[in-house]
Amino acid sequence: MKKIFLLALLYIAYFTSFGQNNEGVVYFTRTTYWTKLNSTLTYLSKQEKERMSYMFGGKDDWANYTLLYFNDNESKYVNSEEKNEESEGYAWRKEAYSIGRNFTKNTMTDVIEMLGKTYIVEDSLKLPEWKILNDLKEVAGHICMKAQVEDPIKNQKITAWFAQDLPSQAGPERLWGLPGMILELDINDGAVTVVATKIEFKKVDKELEPPKKLKGKKITNTEYQNMIDKFIKEKIKEEINPFWVIRY
Amino acid sequence: MNKSLVLLIALFFTCNNLFAQNPARVTIRGVVQDTSAMTLTGATVMLLQPKDSSLVNFARANDKGSFEFRNVKNASYLLKISYVGFLPYQQKLKEFPSEVNDLGPIKIKPIAKELLEVVVKTAKAPLSIKGDTVEYNAASFKVPPGSSVEDLLRRLPGIEVDASGNIKAQGKDVKRVLVDGKTFFGDDPKAATKNLGAETISKVQVYNGKSDQALLTGADDGKKEKTINLELKDEFKKGAFGKITAAVGTSDRGVLRGNYNRFNKKEQFSVLGYANNINETGVNWSDYGEFKGNNSFNSNDNGDFGFGNGSRFYYMEGDYLNNFDGKGFTNNFGTGVNYNYTHQKTKFSSSYFYNQTKLNLDQYQSTKTFLQNSNFTTLDTNNTVSFRNSHSVAARLEQMLDSSNTIIAKTNLRFSGSNSNVNQVQQYLNNSEDVQNRINMNNGSNLNAYNFNFTAIYRHKFKKKGRTFAASSTLSTSSTDGTDNIRSLTRFFNATNVNDQIRAISQLNQNANTTTMIKAGVNYLEPLSKKVYWESFYNFNNSGQNVGRDAFNGNLESQRYDSLSTYYQNQITYNRVGSGLRYSNDGINLSFGLAVLQYDLDGKVYPQKGKPLTANISKQYQALTPNFSANIEFKNNAYMGFNYTLNVEAPSITDLQPVVQNNNPFYITSGNQDLLPAKNHELSFDISKFDPATFASIGIWSSYRYYLSQIVYSQTVDANFVTRTRPENMSGGKSFNLGMYSSFPIIKTKWTMNLSGNINTSNTPTIVNTIVNQTNNKNYTINAGFSITPSEKLIMNIEGNLGFNNISYTIENNQNQNIRTKGLSTSVKWNFAKKTFFETSFDYNSYRNDRFGFDQEIPILNASVRRLFMKENRMEVRLAAFDIFNKRQSIVQTGYLNTVSNQQALTLARYFMLSLTYNLKGHSDKLKKNGGFF
Repeated sequence: MKKIFLLALLYIAYFTSFGQNNEGVVYFTRTTYWTKLNSTLTYLSKQEKERMSYMFGGKDDWANYTLLYFNDNESKYVNSEEKNEESEGYAWRKEAYSIGRNFTKNTMTDVIEMLGKTYIVEDSLKLPEWKILNDLKEVAGHICMKAQVEDPIKNQKITAWFAQDLPSQAGPERLWGLPGMILELDINDGAVTVVATKIEFKKVDKELEPPKKLKGKKITNTEYQNMIDKFIKEKIKEEINPFWVIRY
Repeated sequence: MNKSLVLLIALFFTCNNLFAQNPARVTIRGVVQDTSAMTLTGATVMLLQPKDSSLVNFARANDKGSFEFRNVKNASYLLKISYVGFLPYQQKLKEFPSEVNDLGPIKIKPIAKELLEVVVKTAKAPLSIKGDTVEYNAASFKVPPGSSVEDLLRRLPGIEVDASGNIKAQGKDVKRVLVDGKTFFGDDPKAATKNLGAETISKVQVYNGKSDQALLTGADDGKKEKTINLELKDEFKKGAFGKITAAVGTSDRGVLRGNYNRFNKKEQFSVLGYANNINETGVNWSDYGEFKGNNSFNSNDNGDFGFGNGSRFYYMEGDYLNNFDGKGFTNNFGTGVNYNYTHQKTKFSSSYFYNQTKLNLDQYQSTKTFLQNSNFTTLDTNNTVSFRNSHSVAARLEQMLDSSNTIIAKTNLRFSGSNSNVNQVQQYLNNSEDVQNRINMNNGSNLNAYNFNFTAIYRHKFKKKGRTFAASSTLSTSSTDGTDNIRSLTRFFNATNVNDQIRAISQLNQNANTTTMIKAGVNYLEPLSKKVYWESFYNFNNSGQNVGRDAFNGNLESQRYDSLSTYYQNQITYNRVGSGLRYSNDGINLSFGLAVLQYDLDGKVYPQKGKPLTANISKQYQALTPNFSANIEFKNNAYMGFNYTLNVEAPSITDLQPVVQNNNPFYITSGNQDLLPAKNHELSFDISKFDPATFASIGIWSSYRYYLSQIVYSQTVDANFVTRTRPENMSGGKSFNLGMYSSFPIIKTKWTMNLSGNINTSNTPTIVNTIVNQTNNKNYTINAGFSITPSEKLIMNIEGNLGFNNISYTIENNQNQNIRTKGLSTSVKWNFAKKTFFETSFDYNSYRNDRFGFDQEIPILNASVRRLFMKENRMEVRLAAFDIFNKRQSIVQTGYLNTVSNQQALTLARYFMLSLTYNLKGHSDKLKKNGGFF
């Protein structure tokens, strides 16, 4: 599998000469719809879910902004400095969050502040099990195709739309590995959406450089996933929404 | 290294091939072309698993349109090719017999231009392709309400509908129209398109279907007919829920309570009603939320602009909530309807609510008042019977004009009435507890009032990000009309003169007050940089009040008491302008601002309405008020906040009115026209830390207030214990508060401990018989508890608290008061059998004040059993016992100014109740761990 993948990479490296669109930054808007997110919690009764959507449905969204820097070999996904329009300029502290992918070296370097600690997830890349579907849609000026993947730990069904004409494997959040750049994500029927609003083609070597000093606990991807899994199970048992404190 | 490995593997497979039927690894290549054999450079070519479309490998076509998968596992695949502007191409590949396989030129078809342009680019609708079926979301195409499917089809790209309703798709006649895959109203395609409403359709699919003949015979004749399938919307956004409860209890207790809600995507409609005699004067929070629906919380509703508090917070108008204060017996009734409409940029809500409460209260109060080196005690026994009701109508409209302009308009009209009758006996005891005076009072009152309120708020977002402007204005008027019937008989036991031994008052007061208020404000926020903001605001408020009171002899209504009558006109104008700078970046928010405010007061006093002016008071107050705040969010979920502000508040109208209130002849109040505004420095500080891994938290907060000028009520007490009070300005009052809380798990998911403590100290000056008294109040409370959840089926809570309140008076320093309270509260919820629950709570409180010789213990035990019945647990039957020991009563101990008092009131004690609740959506058959949080 790894070798096949390597071969595929070789192909990509070979054919990238086709597009000039191979280096730049994608601006994403990440919106959380809290009512929908809460409705996925198994411990809530039918009446509670109904009341929640009756009272808060339609005005439960909160938008954040994120950036995806990319070139032929690498990508880095980070929170943007831009403030939410509803925030009236107030700035809350953003937790450290930087998702680094190196497609030639097949490695990930993620800096994630979670549960009060900063973790550095360093591991080799394992391709998500994408399913390719037959739908087309336009996102930020690009015709995209639909793909799906499941996250059994967070109990999420994720729909991704990848561009047919941007030959990059990069994507927002921790996702990657489609034949085109992922420009939109939809997690659990719109509980969280991550939608590209603008793509700027420019040199981003500086932004892609790894953080100079990596402060935090180094763990593997499996350890990271196990930690999330344990925390979610524990909080669900306590009937507390785990996604108050960890990224959905 | 990898290269040699690949080579090795390749070698291995070559050898293997000699023996195997099919090679284990193969190379697949081909060329991507369009229908006119032009090469499509850069086309994406994917190998998918046929069973679930999982991505196995992908490649891109080179400048000659050719692609190659080298050395992939030999298996059956789904080859998929995608290219901008072309229909995704799919081909099934079987296991290959040979090692290298050239698929040759593969021709892919372009997507009809109108589909791409109109559906994908203009309507932003996803296009689904299933073989030769193209499907898109009809909801993306806007048609006026009430349109038929035919109108909708006319708008769809690639579809033509002629005048008589015949349909063509991609130039070919549509022979069949299906609804959810089934024939609708026979064979006429027009039957569906003319009769169905466009709003019922979610998706339109166009494809080449088999001909009727082929469907009939089962033999494919190769003829394809254009078919349209209309997929209906699933109606999950439409529904209803509600519940009804009926209960009967011992001592004639009864409850009837219900609510019903219907909703669809745009509308919410709800009705609510309750009637009870168990002291529920309104509904609880969750019923309130269900009643108001998406109008429960509204952002942007605050038009009172100022420092820091910004303009965005959510609030609830709690008109219908249960606000019973724990005293007396009440009969309650209320009912209302609410309607909300939300669609695109419009949000409209309206409601009507009626409620009434009849109160029967028996109360006993003993108050000790300290004078210089002496004190007296007042014993007060009082029976009140009162009735109050109100009708209220409210509406709110939020209209987004476009992405940068929003208008909010809301209005409220309320009519209310009340009448009450108070029978009261007061006894005044001197230092040595001998009764000096006794007064019997019978006061009746009757009041009718109306309030009207209208507010409009406009908000604008400028093109420059972060620059905003908002303006608001409010008009409010209210009027009250009432009569007080005051009768009292006083005996002075010390009087030597017969004439002085008894005094009777009989008085009839007619009160008519009207208030009109106009309020306006503007707010402007300018981002000076990404981190620095400049905020400015202006507030205006003008309120005019007319107060009229005609006092008559209660036995001879033609006799007017001029000394007790008045007519008073009061105008207060408030102007404030403020400006501040704020630094906001990465969790640090610091702001500093300054405001100038001015109050203009103008009062006119007449002996009677229509008579010439007797006094004119005109005043102006100005103040400069600074404001500083810091909110810092540290790494590791620690927070710190600091705030300083100078508060300035104008005296209240009643405190300024030079009118004597003598409803109680032993407590006579009058206003003070010379009052200045209250002014205080306020400092607050808080710090907290939260551990997201364990949800442990700790926090400390503190606040300090120092009065430059405080409005206090000076007292003059004469030999007969008649107290005359008058508001005065005094400086030097202060208060300090320090609190702490902590919550942490002892055993994860099972035991949590909560701790909290509070220290309050205050120093209030007051003038008693021209001498300044300082009342020092020190209040300490401490609270500790556990939440225990041994299993899904058992939840327990235990909590204990201690309170100490020390009050000392400088004018009578041997009379320091020590009030002690102790409390213990436990609860158990146990799901002991399937769908059956046992719930109990025990609260023990003790109240002690040694100086009064007061020591009371109140244990309250409640218990209930409930069971769920019927499909989806729709029915709940509950048998409950309230206050099993029959001990409930209300006790309030307070120290205020130069007094300390102890108040006891009767209220609903032991009763048993059987209740039935039917819930349309069913009751939850599990215990709830976190009381309503999600």
